[in-house]
Amino acid sequence: MKILVAVKQVAALEEDFEIRADGKDVDEDFMLYDLNEWDDYSLEEAMKIKESSDVEVEVVVVSVGPDRVDESLRKCLAKGADRAIRVWDDSAEGSDAIVVGRILTEVIKKEAPDMVFAGVQSSDQAYASTGISIASYLNWPHAAVVADLQYKPGDNKAVVRRELEGGLLQEVEINCPAVLTIQLGINKPRYASLRGIKQAATKPIEEVSLGDLSLTANDVGAANSMSRVRRMYVPEKGRATMIEGTLAEQAAKIIQIINEFKGA
Amino acid sequence: MNDPTQITRILFQDFDPKAIYLFYAIGYLAIAVFIYGVYVQIRKYRRGKSDGSWNELFQRFVEMVKTMATHRTLVRRDKSAGRAHGLIFFGFVLLFIGTATITLEYDILEPLFGVKFWYGNFYLMFSLVLDLAGFGLIAGLIYMMYRRKWLNLPKLDYKRVDRQEGDPDFDRSQYRREDWAFLWSFILIGITGFILEATRLVWLSDSPHVWDYRFWSPVGAMLAHIMQALGLTADGAGSFRPVLWWFHGVLSLTFIACIPFTKIKHIFTAATSLMFKDPLAGRRLPRVPDDQKTAGYKNITDLTWKNLLHLDACTKCGRCQEACPANAVGAPLSPRDVILSLREFANKALSSKELPKEAELDIHGKDVGQVFMETLWSCRTCLACVEICPVAVEHVPIIVQMRRNLVEAGEMEPILEKTLQTIHKTGNSFGESKRKRAAWAKDLPFEIKDARTEPVDILWFVGDYASFDPRNQKVTRSFAKLMHNAGINFGLLFEAELNSGNDLRRVGEEGLYELLATSNIGTLQACDFKSIVTTDPHSFNTIRNEYPDFGGKFEINHYTTLVKQLIENGQIKLKKKLDYRVTFHDPCHLGRYNKGFDAPRDVIKLLGCELVEMARNRDNSFCCGAGGGRIWIPDPVGIEKPSANRMREAGQIEGLDVFIVSCPKDLTMFEDALKTSGYEGKFIVRELIELIDECVEYEVWEEAALPE
Ligand code: SF4
Ligand code: SF4
Repeated sequence: MKILVAVKQVAALEEDFEIRADGKDVDEDFMLYDLNEWDDYSLEEAMKIKESSDVEVEVVVVSVGPDRVDESLRKCLAKGADRAIRVWDDSAEGSDAIVVGRILTEVIKKEAPDMVFAGVQSSDQAYASTGISIASYLNWPHAAVVADLQYKPGDNKAVVRRELEGGLLQEVEINCPAVLTIQLGINKPRYASLRGIKQAATKPIEEVSLGDLSLTANDVGAANSMSRVRRMYVPEKGRATMIEGTLAEQAAKIIQIINEFKGA
Repeated sequence: MNDPTQITRILFQDFDPKAIYLFYAIGYLAIAVFIYGVYVQIRKYRRGKSDGSWNELFQRFVEMVKTMATHRTLVRRDKSAGRAHGLIFFGFVLLFIGTATITLEYDILEPLFGVKFWYGNFYLMFSLVLDLAGFGLIAGLIYMMYRRKWLNLPKLDYKRVDRQEGDPDFDRSQYRREDWAFLWSFILIGITGFILEATRLVWLSDSPHVWDYRFWSPVGAMLAHIMQALGLTADGAGSFRPVLWWFHGVLSLTFIACIPFTKIKHIFTAATSLMFKDPLAGRRLPRVPDDQKTAGYKNITDLTWKNLLHLDACTKCGRCQEACPANAVGAPLSPRDVILSLREFANKALSSKELPKEAELDIHGKDVGQVFMETLWSCRTCLACVEICPVAVEHVPIIVQMRRNLVEAGEMEPILEKTLQTIHKTGNSFGESKRKRAAWAKDLPFEIKDARTEPVDILWFVGDYASFDPRNQKVTRSFAKLMHNAGINFGLLFEAELNSGNDLRRVGEEGLYELLATSNIGTLQACDFKSIVTTDPHSFNTIRNEYPDFGGKFEINHYTTLVKQLIENGQIKLKKKLDYRVTFHDPCHLGRYNKGFDAPRDVIKLLGCELVEMARNRDNSFCCGAGGGRIWIPDPVGIEKPSANRMREAGQIEGLDVFIVSCPKDLTMFEDALKTSGYEGKFIVRELIELIDECVEYEVWEEAALPE
C-alpha cells in the first residue's frame, strides 16, 4: 500500500519587496521559502492513515522544483514520510500548474500508488489546479477541497466530505485509487522539530530528471505551458480618507460610506 | 578522689547475656534492613542515565560540608525553621558520633586491643556534650511540631495545584502522616533517652562514681531529682529501667532500619545532592548528544542518576513552591509537586527487581505520578526554585528536558508552534525580515559600524526585542547614542545576528537552538572584537554560559556593567542628578542567573535616585512571567499575570516614581501590566538606559528630533 503526496515549496514575501527586473515575478531576494501550508495537512492525512493501519503503508512525497526544495522535503521526511522524490530540470522554470501536474503524473505512473493526495492550492500561486490536472492526466476519480476522509488501506472506496460554499458539506463516495485535494483544518499537522529535520537529512531524497520520466525540455517550461505570466505588479493603492469630527459625526460618516458601498 | 576508670557508664549493666544477644540480634537485623534499603535505592539511581558530575569530588565534598556546617541554605528566607533544623541536625550528628565512639571502644578497640578511653574526664565531657546535643535536638523538634501544628503554613499542607480533588493522587495526607510519625518517633527517642539516663542515675544514686558526677549530664540530673521528688526509689528505678531501655533501644534501631525507606533518608540524599550541585544548573542546559535518537525525557529511565537523586533529596519544605511565580498566580505548577510526582513514579517503577515494560515508564500524561503537559508549559524557567532549594534540587533542567520531549511530540500551544516556525524561517521571533534587524539605527545622526567588515572594540549583540519592538527600539537608540557619545568603538552584526536562542532552548526546541547558536557563533568568530555587550539579559545568559559548549567562548557584559564603568571613569558624563524615588526589578537572567545584582543598583545610585527595594529583590526577584518562552504564549485570562502581581508589590512603595527595569522583555511586560493593573498615573516603568539618557546632555542632537 502506497500513498503519494504531492507537495510544493512556496514563497512568502517580506514586507518590503521589489519586483524582478523582467517584471514577471518578485525578486527572489525578498522571498522566504517554506512548505505550502495545505501540504502540511495532506501529508498529515497520509501519516494518519499510515499510523493507524495494520498493513504496511508507504508514504512518498514528491515535489517539482530546484535544490532549495530539498529543505521542505526534509521537513516532510522529519514528519515521517518514508521517501522523498524531487523532479527538476532548469527547463521546467516557468511551468504552469498543468505542466507541473503532467510532470507529477509521470512520477505517479512509475510509483503506482494507491492514493494521491495534494493540497487544495498553493499559498503563493493559488491556481488550485495541480491536483486536479493529475487526476485528469491519470484519468482517475478525484475530489477537491476534502475536509474529512474515511479510508482504510485496501478499500476500493473512500468516503470524503467536501467543503462547499456557505458552510455546506458534501459527502461523496469515490472509487479508489483516487486523487484528493486536501483542505486546511482536516487534521492537526504535527510539528517537525529541528532535530527531526536534521536527522531526516540521512534519509535520501531521490532526484529525478525529465529524462527518467520520458519527458523532454519540449514538454515543460513557460514556453510549453498553456498559460504564462505576463507581468506582476502592485496595483494602485485604493482610496483612503481621514474622517474628522466628533465621535457621533465620525460614526455617521462611516455608516454613510458603508451604505454607499452596499449600494443602498 | 574516685578512680577515673570507674567514672564511666557500664554498658548492659546487670543484663542477662541472653538479653544482650537478643539486642545484638535486633541490631544486626536493623543494620541488614538498612543496608538492603540502601542497596535498593542505589539500584534505583543506577537505572538512570550517566551524568558528568564526578569531577572535583574533593572540592565538592568540602563545599557540601561548608553548606551543611553553616546551614546557610536552610536559614535563608526562613530563619526559625533553619535554626531549629540546625539544632536537630547538630544534635543528631553529635549523638551519632557519641554512639559511634562507644561502639568503637566497646565492640572494637577493647575486645581486640584492650584499649579503653571512655572514662574519667573524657567521659564527663562526653556526657555533657551529648546531654546538650540531646536537649537541642528535642528543642528543635518541638519547634518543628509547633510549626506544623500552629503556624498553618500553606506550603506544609501539600495541597496540590496540578490535580483536582478526586484524582487518585490528589491526596497527600500520607505525607503529613509521615512527617508526624517522623517527628514523634524522633522526639520519643530523645525523651526516652533522657528518662533512661535519669532512671539510671536514680537507680545508681548510692554509687558515688555515678551520683557525684550527675551534673555532667545536667538534663538527666534534673530529671532524676524530679523523679526522686516524685517518690521514685533506687529499686523502683532499677525495675523500671529495663522496660524503658528496650523501648528506647528498639525504637532507635527501628528508626535506623527505616532510614532508606522514609523521609529520614534525606540525611544522606540531601547531603549527596548538595555535593553534586551544579552551580550552572538551569543557566547552562545539558546538550543532547548528536547520536541520541530522541531529545529530552520521555521515560523515567531517561533521567540521570543525579536527577533521580535530587528527587529523593527533596524534603518537601515548599520553599520552591513559595518562590514560584507560576504557582503564585495559580498556574497548575508547583516545582515541588513536579519533583514529588516524579519521585513517586521512580519509586514505583524503579524499585523492584525487574524494570517494568517500557510503556509503564512514561512520565508524561494524566495518570498517577505523571506530569501534565500544562504543568510543564507553565514554567517560566526563572530559576527561583533552583535558587532557594536548601538541598540543591535542580528542577529546571528536568522541566526543560521534559519539554524537549513535548516539543518533539508536537505537544504545545499552536501559537508557540507558529513562533518556533517563524524563528526557524526568519531568525527572529517577530517574523521580520533579516534586513530589518538594524532598522532602528536608520535615523541616528551617526553611522554604526558593521562589525563584520571592520574591527571594533565592543560588539553589540542587540537581541530580538531590542531590535524589533518599537517601544524598545527607542531604548536601543538611546543606548547607541550613549555608547557613541562615550567614544566607544562599537559595531553590530546587522542582518547576520539571529535570535540568540536562550528562550528557545528553555522552551525545549534544542535543534533550533543549536542551529541559531552555531550560526551566531560562526558569525561572531569571523569578527574582530574584544568583548560583547548586550542590553538583553537573555542573550547575555546564553552567550555567556551556553555558547562555550558549542565552541563559542566570548567575553560578554550586560550593559549595566559597562555603563557603570563608563560613568565611573568619566566617559559618560552625568550633567544632572535625578531626584526620583525608584525601585529596581532584577531580571531573572541578569540577577539570579548571572548574579548581576549590583551593577544596576550602583548605576541607579550614581544617577542620584533614591532606591527603595521591593520585598522580593535580588535572588528572590519575582519573574515578569516572560521567561522560558512564555512571552510567546498568552497567559490564560481570568487569573492574575505574574507581571501584574509584581506591579501590586511595587505599588506598595510609598511615593514611588519609577519602576526601573534593565531588560527589553521586562519593559514590554511591565508597561502592559502597569496599564492593566490600575497603577497607571501612579508611577512609570522605565528602562535604566532611559534614566541615564535623561542625565546626559548631548551637544549635537536631540532624541526629540528622531522619529518615534
Ligand atoms: S523556574 Fe520559576 S516558574 Fe519554573 S518551576 Fe521554578 S520557580 Fe516556578
Ligand atoms: S525541591 Fe527543594 S525547595 Fe522544593 S520542596 Fe523540595 S527541598 Fe524544598
